[in-house]
Parts: sequence; structure tokens; C-alpha cells
Amino acid sequence: MITLAGKESCKILAEFLANLIPGGVVFALVEGDTFVWVKASDSFTIETIKIGNKLQDDTTTMQAIREKKVLIQNIPRTVYGKRVSMVSIPVINDNGDAVGAFSIALPKLHPVAAAFGDFAPILAEMFPEGSFIYMSDLTKIAYEQPSKKFDMPSISVGYELSEADIAYQVIKSKQPMMAEVDASKYGVPLAVANYPLFDEDNGEVVATLGIVTPKKTAVTLRKMSHTLENSLSGIAAAIQQLAASATEIYSNEEALNSNIKEITNISEEINEVSAFIKEIADETKILGLNAAIEAARAGDSGRGFGVVAEEIRKLSDQSKSTVPKIKQLTDTIKRKVDEASGKSNRSLDASQSQAAASEEITASIEEITSMSEELSNIAKSL
Amino acid sequence: MSSIQLVVFRLGEEEYGIEIGFAQEIIRIPDQITKMPDMPSYIEGLIDLRGKVIPIIDLKKRFGFEQTERSVDNRLLILDLETMLLGIIVDDVSEVIKIENEAIEKLSAEISSLGSNSLQGIARIDERLILVLNALQLKTEVFQK
Repeated sequence: MITLAGKESCKILAEFLANLIPGGVVFALVEGDTFVWVKASDSFTIETIKIGNKLQDDTTTMQAIREKKVLIQNIPRTVYGKRVSMVSIPVINDNGDAVGAFSIALPKLHPVAAAFGDFAPILAEMFPEGSFIYMSDLTKIAYEQPSKKFDMPSISVGYELSEADIAYQVIKSKQPMMAEVDASKYGVPLAVANYPLFDEDNGEVVATLGIVTPKKTAVTLRKMSHTLENSLSGIAAAIQQLAASATEIYSNEEALNSNIKEITNISEEINEVSAFIKEIADETKILGLNAAIEAARAGDSGRGFGVVAEEIRKLSDQSKSTVPKIKQLTDTIKRKVDEASGKSNRSLDASQSQAAASEEITASIEEITSMSEELSNIAKSL
Repeated sequence: MSSIQLVVFRLGEEEYGIEIGFAQEIIRIPDQITKMPDMPSYIEGLIDLRGKVIPIIDLKKRFGFEQTERSVDNRLLILDLETMLLGIIVDDVSEVIKIENEAIEKLSAEISSLGSNSLQGIARIDERLILVLNALQLKTEVFQK
């Protein structure tokens, strides 16, 4: 406890200490139930603690004065708008009566909040695409730390949490949460991780710590793997068509081959017919010669018949001369058909190797497709 | 200018002609030729032509050609040699032509004395040389031992 004489010393001491205490402090002197002297640090003030203000009976200070003993109490946020540790030391007159008190209000900070300024700037730079680290109390953003690569200008200290905010949901559920936010909200896709912070004494949620990281790379990767999958399925379909047409070519070529064989048979039949023509021509020739002989034997009376005989012979020569021509034609047909058959066999082989190749390609594409699925899964887990 | 008609046939590469008056007809070689025993090799045998028995000779053999294969073009030329019919096997009968007597060159006596005297002369038609046979002489030659 402080004597009336000692209070002046306390004031002097407080003047010095005010801006030396990390996190700030408010010193106040109360006489009766009224603040008569207040010294606050630059970084921490309490609105209601000011000279002339009266204290309520239920305050720590009034309690300390009544009970004449030093009281240290944690004041919940509802009183001053922030959590405060209040230390009240009664001031005693010469008669031993408590006439006032010297009160020290210290902001009560979670250790993580206290260290925020130390770790957040370092941590924020540690993510490949940068990050935004923030802390909220139960209603609004209390600290923010952007990185060089990434900032969230729309979120700043004082921002009121709403139901849509993850921090809000973490405060409600008291559970850590991780969520993804698509590009529609902040312009870039984001991953948000938020952890609740608990009061050291009563285990109540008092704040949250959040890290926001842009997921541009992961999302780009995911889009790419999606595009890759799409084009692969396109290619697979095209190859399937290709394989189908290879099969069609194969069956066409087979049909062609059998047609070619038929043509060969037909040209052989033509040769048979032409052999028959030759036989007839030979027969006609003999007939013509015999007619000529007969005409000659008949002498003058056979002259007319001789002319007919000559005509018959000419006819037979003509018919016979068609035989080698037909033979030449059928030989040409046979040669051309052989060529065609060779070519068709080659395209048969080609279509077979085409089918084999497209099977190989299909296998490769299946492999690539499964890789791209894997890629997509990796992208989702990033 | 008198002319004669020749039946032209081939023996190997050469063309022969025989006066049409001695030719009776041309037929294919019959499937059946009846062989005769103890005969010169150029006598093929006998055939029956519409009731007449006709001896057949292989003229190429008789003329001392190296034997060639028979083909479908071989023909039997039936000759009417006054007293008898004779069939000669030839390689194809090609035509009946009319030529001037003057176109037939007689062989010089020196040359004809060396070989067969059935050769009457040589007819030249364009680039072709046709050996003209004397049919009656041929008969004499064929049937002399």
C-alpha cells in the first residue's frame, strides 16, 4: 500500500515508465471515487480513465479501496473494449484509512499477439507466393502483416468480422479451419488457415491467428491439368476413330484382294474363250483351204466358189489375229492386277501397322492421362 | 501367161508348195493312225478316211529334218497322186496362192542331182521363197527303197 506521501514518488516513477513498458500501460491516481491524475503511454489508452471521471463501485479500484488491499484483476473486454489487467494499490492516510488508490492498467495480451510484431514480418515472407498474416480479437482484425508479394488491402486493422469470415467461424466453433477462397472474392484464389487462440487462464477463445496464401500457382496448375485431360480425351477419341478407319481400310483391302482374284479368274476365262476362237479360226482356215482346193479341182466352174473360199480364209486369218491381241490384253490385265494386288497387300500391311501404332499411342495416352490425373490431385493438395 | 495355184505349207521354217491339182483336202491329224510293221520310220501308218485306206508319211522325216515336236497346228495334207491317195504330215498349211509359171525358177541340174529330185523349182513371192514340189516325183521318191 502507498502512503499519501509516497504517491508523488509513484507519479514521478510512472511518468518515466509509461513509454518503456512493452505493450503500453495506463497509470491513474484515484481520490475517493474520482480520477485525479492519469498517465497513459503513447501506444495504449483507456477512454474512460481520465481526470474527473468517477469510478463505479464494482471496479477493481473501488474494491481495493474498500478492502484496503492490493488487488490484481483481469478485466474482460466488455468493460473497456479491450482486455486489461488491472492492478490497484490503495492509498492510506495517516490514520490508516484508505482514501484513494494508485491503479495500473496493463493491456492483457495473448503471447501470440504480443509476439506478432516479431514473428509475422518474417513468417509472411516465407511463402513462395507471399502471404498475409493477421490476428483478430473476437470482433475485428487486430493485427495485420502483409508480405512484399501479397497484400489484402480490403482487410485492415479494425475490419469488423462478419459471418462469412473464417475467423468468425473459428471463434464460434473453437476449431482450427482451413478453407479455399476462389478468385471471385479477392481477385486471386486464396488458401486461408485460421487457428483459435485461447486465454491462458480460463481457456476461452480470445483471438484468432490467420494466414492467407495466394494459390495462383496451384490453381494455374489445376487448370492446366484439366486442360491437359480434356485435350487427352480429345486425342484418345481421334485415335479411336483412326483405329476404326484402319480396321475399315483393312476390311476394304481384303475385299479388294478377293475382287482382284476374281478379275484374275475372269482374265483366265477370257483366255479360254480366246483359245476357243483360235480353234474356230483354225477350223475355218482348213475349211477355206479345202474349199479352195475343191474350187480348183472344179476348174472354171469353181471360180466363184474359189472367191468365197478366199474370203473364208481371210476371215479366219482375221479372227485368228485377234487371239494374240486378246492374249496381250489379258496379259496386261494380269500384270496390272498383280501390281494392284501387290499394292493392296502393302496397304494391308500398312493399315495393320497403323492399327498397331494407334494401339501404342492409345497406351501412351492412357499413361499420360493417369499422370495428368495425378498432377491434378497434386495441384488440389497444394 | 499361164499360172498355177499352189497349196502352201510349212515344214519347219521353210515353205513348200504343191500344185493344187494334186491336193485333195486338208484335215487335222487323226487321233488314230494304224502303225504297220517293218516299215521305214517316216511311214506313220494308215488311216481310214471316209472308207478309204490312206498311207501317212512324215514328210519332214523323209526329207531328213531333225524331228520336231508335233503341235496342234500340224495338219494332214491328203494328196491325190493319180493312182493313189497319200497323206503327208506338215507343220501347218498356210494358204492357196496363184503364181505365174515364170515366177518359178528351175534348180540347176548340178544342185538337183545332189538331193531329192522331187524339188521342181523355187517360187519367189516378195521376200518369200517357196520350194515347189513335184507331187508325182514325190510319190516315186517316197515309195522307193
